[in-house]
Amino acid sequence: MKYTRSPGDPRNMTDSSLSSLGAKVVVASSGDENHPPENITDGTETFWMSTGMFPQEFIVRFAEATTMSAVTVDSYNVKHLRIEKTASQNASQFELVTEKEFGHTEGHLQSNVVSLNGSSATHLRFIITTGYDHFVSVHRVTVQN
Amino acid sequence: MVKLRARCLLVGDAAVGKSALSHMFHSEGTLFQKNYSMTTGVELLLKCVNIPETNDSVELYIIDSAGKETLVEGCEKMWGEPSLLCLVFDLTSEQSFANCGRWMERVRAHCRGLHLPGVLVGNKSDLSARREVESSVAQEWAQSQGLEYHETSARAMENCDAPLLSLARAFQSLYQERRETIQNLSPG
Repeated sequence: MKYTRSPGDPRNMTDSSLSSLGAKVVVASSGDENHPPENITDGTETFWMSTGMFPQEFIVRFAEATTMSAVTVDSYNVKHLRIEKTASQNASQFELVTEKEFGHTEGHLQSNVVSLNGSSATHLRFIITTGYDHFVSVHRVTVQN
Repeated sequence: MVKLRARCLLVGDAAVGKSALSHMFHSEGTLFQKNYSMTTGVELLLKCVNIPETNDSVELYIIDSAGKETLVEGCEKMWGEPSLLCLVFDLTSEQSFANCGRWMERVRAHCRGLHLPGVLVGNKSDLSARREVESSVAQEWAQSQGLEYHETSARAMENCDAPLLSLARAFQSLYQERRETIQNLSPG
């Protein structure tokens, strides 16, 4: 599997993989050691997979407060995603930024741009409230500044 | 190592032994409740099953739901979206077996068309003189519904871990199947 985008794709211009921003996944609700949450941020073809039931969540921590216009989420079988943020240092007091319903895809990944309206945050919390199947996967999250 | 998590719906007619079985599951086969006390709502039991010869485990959130007709509707609200099904009937009651079809319909209405692995359990196998349902008949129906069939006796503490292991294995193989699908996806 390859992530190929045409050279003219506007997403190429401002995309930053999370690892390049010093961001890390610090919490995730599912556990398959062959598909760990680090796979979401490493910018490669690997993925994190949920291991049953909903909701599922992961929290991304940035090296410093970061302003974001949008995030792009590459995933499979995610139905409803809720994104929360906090500007605190200790991953507490999250507030809702946005919610989005993803369309169902079969045989290829979902790729959704979720607008964050220039939110500034130290942590983003991604909550998958429902899926199109028992299990979902998240392959990559990139940030548009 | 994979830690899986599944919401397991435990349903079937009243007094077939769902709660007795679930307490058996929970106590590793040491506790049989001698006195009958009808479940009127839902009871949640957590049971972790290690799958032999692997490092994988499945945490089962068992939803023991009242079987009595007048209570079912209220309970359905708490079923959520099940991952697994454990459908129980009483081997000494033809009627409880006949009603399994209706239980399947009820459960399917909660599944949004998703495949739901499960088991059919004929309980009270110790009461052989009063048996009304033949193994072969139950086995055949289970197969037609895509369920694995087991016979248990919660009272005699016989075979009670078999349905659990079967459920855990079914969920593990569903996971592996889905993981393979995802590994073979093309980019969005």
